Amino acid sequence: MVHLSSVLLKQYHGGYVVLRLALAGHNQANRPFYRIVAAFNKRARDGKYIEQLGTYDPLPNIYNEKLVSFNYDRIKYWYGCGAHPTKSVAKLLGLAGFFPLHPMTVTGAERHRAQAAQMDASIIKDEEEEQG
Amino acid sequence: MMKTQQKAHKNTTKRFKNMATRAHSHDAKKPQFTDPAVQDVLSRITGLELQKVFRPIKRELKLPSYKLMTDEQLNQAINNASEQAKKLLQMPLVLPERKPIDDVLSEDPFLAGMDTAKYVFTDITYNVPHRLFKCFQKFGDVGERDRLVQVYFPKEGRKLTPYHIFKEENLKMVFSMDRHEDVLDLCLVQFEPDSSDYIKVHMSTYEDLDKHGKYDLLRSTRHFGGLAWYLVNARRVDGLIVDMLKRDLLQDAVSLVSLFHMVHPHSESAQEAALQQATGADLLKVRLGFPYNKSTYTIVFF
Repeated sequence: MVHLSSVLLKQYHGGYVVLRLALAGHNQANRPFYRIVAAFNKRARDGKYIEQLGTYDPLPNIYNEKLVSFNYDRIKYWYGCGAHPTKSVAKLLGLAGFFPLHPMTVTGAERHRAQAAQMDASIIKDEEEEQG
Repeated sequence: MMKTQQKAHKNTTKRFKNMATRAHSHDAKKPQFTDPAVQDVLSRITGLELQKVFRPIKRELKLPSYKLMTDEQLNQAINNASEQAKKLLQMPLVLPERKPIDDVLSEDPFLAGMDTAKYVFTDITYNVPHRLFKCFQKFGDVGERDRLVQVYFPKEGRKLTPYHIFKEENLKMVFSMDRHEDVLDLCLVQFEPDSSDYIKVHMSTYEDLDKHGKYDLLRSTRHFGGLAWYLVNARRVDGLIVDMLKRDLLQDAVSLVSLFHMVHPHSESAQEAALQQATGADLLKVRLGFPYNKSTYTIVFF
């Protein structure tokens, strides 16, 4: 199948190619596993895609690692064809070093830190109240 | 402080070639395992006992087939069998230990606290022979890389967590049962030739064999060359030579001694042999005149 360039894609399909996370295998509740996929924008998230470019496992394994894989060669191809990455894919690629860091990654980290600090402060306050 | 640390791994074949050339430049005169002369000697010492190489192994049950052959066809079949045996007896590589690659590509303290888990990124491009491997947080050693390579590019027979048999206590038990060969085969499947686990297991196996003098267990298997090379490098060939002489393998003993002199040209026996221009049984006499370990043994020369 010939992959059309972005201009022709827009005219023919009325949409564009997107690199996004698609849930794989709806057979288990509470156990997500994503495929990083090049698909048309209008298709269902878990529906028919053009090509699979990698995987992302959001739950950490016994060594406390989240495994992500990318097929950089094909990602380069699709990005060259005018595909748009979604926010999560852009964040992952930024962490991997393929894209520059997504600004929301930094903001997210700061928010996490603020929340953790707040939690610590409230725990300390509770302990003091218990003692006093 | 959290670090983003990334390791880039190059092509394995390139890496092995680089290691070989680097080793060569350090001691250019010292023969390596892969030298054709060394390989020739080691394959000769290994022997070609067809009965042992093609002994019954556990495999799928098949009815035996009977063929009626002339003498010529029988000889042909035996030749084919020895060719096949030579392929089966191909020696696995002996490589120095791989150093962990610790390239920190970027450290971002402003990303601290982002997530409790590490991120591991793998490159699954089709034509890259060995994959780019990056991780989010500080990684340790080679073992983790091997595990992740097995996740994305699984090899048959390998497990993600290594077999329990490779632990020290279990190894001792297996050695008491004389199953060194099985351990070494399993080790070959599970580990890469340059990982520390592989080298450790092989070392403990060879030490145990040397201690008990059970060299015959590995004769006519693909691990004999590795054993001989290890003993030659550790300068402890005496036990092996004695064993060979006991089994009347004079030629093998002579080739082993010549290999020893090739690898250690500055040892006393090598210099003595060079002085006397000794070959054959004379070489053996020269070598046995300089025992390296203090164990006493008596040999009757005829």
